[in-house]
Amino acid sequence: MTENGKKTIDLALNRVEGDLELKIEHEDGVVTNAWSKGIMYRGFENMLKGRGARDGLVLTPRVCGICGTAHLLTAAKALDMISGVHLPTNAMLVRNVAMMAEHIQSDLRHGILMFMQDCLNPAYVGLPLYEEAIHRYQTFKGRSVVRTIRMTKKILEIVAILGGQWPNSSFIVPGGVASVPTFNDIVNCTYIINNFTTWYEEQILGCPLDRWQQVRSEQELQAWLDESDSHRDSDLGFFIRFARLVDLHRLGRGHGNFLSFGQLELPEGSAVHGHRDGALLLSPGFIGQGQAATDCDQELVTEHVTYSHFVDYPGGLHPFDGQTQPYVSPYEIIKYSFCKAPRYDGRPAETGPLAQMLISGHPLFTDMIAGGGPNAYIRELARLTRPAELLPAMKIWAGEIDPEAPFYQSVREIPDGRGYGLIDASRGALGHWVEISRQKIAHYQIITPTAWNGSPRDHDGVRGPWEEALIGTPIADPDNPVEIGHVIRSFDACQVCAVHLLTTDDHTAGHSRCLRV
Amino acid sequence: MRPNLYWLQCGGCSGDTMSMLNADSPNIAEATNSIGLDVLFHPSFSTLTPARHLRLLDELVGGALPLDILCVEGSVITGPNGTGMFETFAGRPKKDLIAELAAQAGLIVAVGTCAAFGGVTRAGDVGGLGLQFAGKDAGGFLGPDFLSREGSPVINLPGCPVHPQVLIGTLSALVVGKRLKLNERNAPLEYYNMLVHQGCTRNEYHEYQIEETDFGQMGCLFFHMGCHGPLAHGPCNKFLWNNRSCKTRSGIPCFGCTEPDFPQDTPFFETPNIVGLPINLPDGVDRPHYLAYKGMAAAAAPERLKHRQPKV
Repeated sequence: MTENGKKTIDLALNRVEGDLELKIEHEDGVVTNAWSKGIMYRGFENMLKGRGARDGLVLTPRVCGICGTAHLLTAAKALDMISGVHLPTNAMLVRNVAMMAEHIQSDLRHGILMFMQDCLNPAYVGLPLYEEAIHRYQTFKGRSVVRTIRMTKKILEIVAILGGQWPNSSFIVPGGVASVPTFNDIVNCTYIINNFTTWYEEQILGCPLDRWQQVRSEQELQAWLDESDSHRDSDLGFFIRFARLVDLHRLGRGHGNFLSFGQLELPEGSAVHGHRDGALLLSPGFIGQGQAATDCDQELVTEHVTYSHFVDYPGGLHPFDGQTQPYVSPYEIIKYSFCKAPRYDGRPAETGPLAQMLISGHPLFTDMIAGGGPNAYIRELARLTRPAELLPAMKIWAGEIDPEAPFYQSVREIPDGRGYGLIDASRGALGHWVEISRQKIAHYQIITPTAWNGSPRDHDGVRGPWEEALIGTPIADPDNPVEIGHVIRSFDACQVCAVHLLTTDDHTAGHSRCLRV
Repeated sequence: MRPNLYWLQCGGCSGDTMSMLNADSPNIAEATNSIGLDVLFHPSFSTLTPARHLRLLDELVGGALPLDILCVEGSVITGPNGTGMFETFAGRPKKDLIAELAAQAGLIVAVGTCAAFGGVTRAGDVGGLGLQFAGKDAGGFLGPDFLSREGSPVINLPGCPVHPQVLIGTLSALVVGKRLKLNERNAPLEYYNMLVHQGCTRNEYHEYQIEETDFGQMGCLFFHMGCHGPLAHGPCNKFLWNNRSCKTRSGIPCFGCTEPDFPQDTPFFETPNIVGLPINLPDGVDRPHYLAYKGMAAAAAPERLKHRQPKV
């Protein structure tokens, strides 16, 4: 398609939480507009309606294979709320430790197996770091890849010890957890955490956790990088060097709105303290374009469908009033995604580790963002280093589990009522809004992190976060738009986005090449 | 020449891919390298550029590059009204691509319950089908008589997700040309001739009908808590999950996720029963004899079990 020198390409993105395609409009080698299309509809919300009150605990982990524990926890929290149950301390500890294990595997599987694979893109053949990238990140062969596969499955053994299996267990139930770990189980979890931490320090960081935690500004990050070969040679060090080589910090700015539902409840009497004063290790909140973080109020969440393949309603609806009536027509010209458009206080918001770090007031990321807004580099840096924030608390919490104390407060029947579960899953804010009536699910609405990040336009035509983040992205080669891959993957679009080029016009003429170092 | 493999993701959650990453001894990297499998494309791991991936698909669909093994993860979405437009690829229904690749593949593996039987996706309003089954009914998307180029029906590896050893073991057999014997649902007997119940550490509770009626009581989960272990076929208690445990050992009922009717219509965590005895008895069991046996077994239950002394 050519119109006034503008060209469009359609890119199909493959991913865990349903396939996505992007339509990109570009002119003179720069993206001028973007549309993010969810191209798969599986109908979980309608599937759940009329089923047993606890069925969300089994079905919603199947929404997403990489963050099923997060869905399970969110579903259970909604039922906790409806039941009005007070959780035993052990239940909070087990939930937290299992949740953190899932986050850590996700951060590193995404970072090392999926994000860093872009370093091998043919566009980078001949760059100084290319040979090193192959050595580290080649599919199923690279040194870092092989070790990451080995260690991420080790950390997941914790979920199996505490909850039977990963993925897709249903051990978190309203009132606590169904499992009754023994002393031996808990001590095994601690050994796994210790071994994993040692590996994470050696390979990913190249330094002890407490050295990394001293990095509190961009300047200190530079000092850290220059400090030793082990810092430069770690995966984090390589990421920083590569990011600078390809100007990753110039990609993927976006709206600058951040949302976190917060997560990891602090049990009473625990030695772990939150980043900000509050009941959670990582704080909930919203940051609107450079403003200070405000508290997060779920009543301000709405979903729009003007541009989504669902039967229209005006404006946005709160998830308790949400409607999910799929609608596709071969003659459709407005609607382009099976994703609804979630908005917070009417605004699109990005979510994920970076949002979490900023809202929790992490000094390094607060400093970096002040220097030029969000970008693909900072987003991925937050993801690769999030385990450093989680591992110390995880170890303490595992040690605080008391095998002699209760893990479950009995909830025999789920009473009628409405409730919600809000947490930060690995990719960011996740919410389930549930209504139970006569032991059955009367209403179920789910907003996933990818729905936030990959949202289409809303009722007012405002782009979703990664649609906006793509604007201004240079495309050196429309046949191989690696820059778009960097931007989308910096949001951790669930899985690698296998970007397939579908239609192009003649793109040999009229495109200025993007200059690269 | 090394046999090649193309991995296609359809109507699913990628949980089978995640499960595959948990494989141990060998892990997925060791396995593909040591059995010499040439993975042409996997959506999560491949580094093919978009243009090269499209060219690869053209070569496979056109037959220029013979495809040895096609792995399909996720169900075939045929809705709404048979159009398949609830899941598209390149602007057309994904189901068309599935059909084109299936027509060329030497062998086809349905990875996970969605691809085998429709699974969770079948329970929705999207017309989700398995490749050669729709729930218990033979047929599915490709039809009951479909045979892949090497004369085999689709090899079903159900499980939500598939157990990683089942996947790697099956691929290891296929790569060396070994044909695994299949059951009536085209799943390898090697992995699906046993019940999830077999090997469960709570078997003795089952034996003497020491029952759990609420979470955490450490009894058998079959009679009240909705456990499908004695009905569901799979190696969960033989191989264990993540090298450590499985749901039934940890006090979570088996949901029968390897079975064609998963997810069942009845509520989870509840056993449909008549006067305290499950409507669905263990696989192949005769009701009158089972009733008599259970009555006697409960009376014979030892005190150490009644008091849950084993703590398993």
